[in-house]
Amino acid sequence: MKKNLFFTVWMVLIILTISTALVSNSAFVKSVATAIILVLSAIKFLGVSFYFMELRNSHNFWKYSIIIYLFVVMSALILILK
Amino acid sequence: MNNKIEKSLYYPPGGILLWIIIFLEFFTFGAALIAMVFYSKDEPEVFHNSKLLLNTSFGAINTFFLLTSGFFMATSVEKFKENNISKTTFFLKLTMVFGVFFLILKSIEYYFKLEAGLTIGYNTFFSFYWMLTLFHVIHVLVGLVILIVNYIGLKKNSTNNLEDFEASAAFWHMCDLIWLLLFPIIYLLF
Repeated sequence: MKKNLFFTVWMVLIILTISTALVSNSAFVKSVATAIILVLSAIKFLGVSFYFMELRNSHNFWKYSIIIYLFVVMSALILILK
Repeated sequence: MNNKIEKSLYYPPGGILLWIIIFLEFFTFGAALIAMVFYSKDEPEVFHNSKLLLNTSFGAINTFFLLTSGFFMATSVEKFKENNISKTTFFLKLTMVFGVFFLILKSIEYYFKLEAGLTIGYNTFFSFYWMLTLFHVIHVLVGLVILIVNYIGLKKNSTNNLEDFEASAAFWHMCDLIWLLLFPIIYLLF
């Protein structure tokens, strides 16, 4: 049962990786492409931490810590690149 | 009830000490990536031209290797919880194989870069490239050693502590997570 969940998450992560590569080679405006790449990467980061690392079953403190870390890093990157 | 909340706060999967290390690693790599992007504002052309010298396919294939390795690691932990040791070792072996694939491809990439003279002192971009990716490779190597020790322990029936096994898995997943930050920023962004 859980193996199927892990497999589904793995499939989604692979699709997101391919999407990220496609966006980087697309004709999108650079700032839009950058934002999409970073958001897709953040989703992949959360997918691995919440499902493969089982963080979804842990205390809220750990869940929010990961989300806050990701938000701070991604926001800083987007602000600098703006 | 209170105990349950307390336990879950102090016992994340893999243990609190490992999670302190994981967050320290995240802060280190996060700060270095922010610094890299910050320096790119001073030399946008250098960073753009240098990024074009990287092989994006290598980076994407390595992402596939690490994500697949992470999938097998998660499955291995699941089998460990079910006390199915033969499947645990089987999936652990697959985890290590994909980790080794990552290192082989990274070595090939490094070889091409060194052949082309794109060393750590070539420019600012490549200074960050070598420091960040080599630091990550060291983590993958350490992770592989930890997994090998677990594998030998399982084969000898001397590893039976779930928290130890989860801690090893969490360290391995940390390598995935760091790569998920490095790949888009170094290979795709500039």
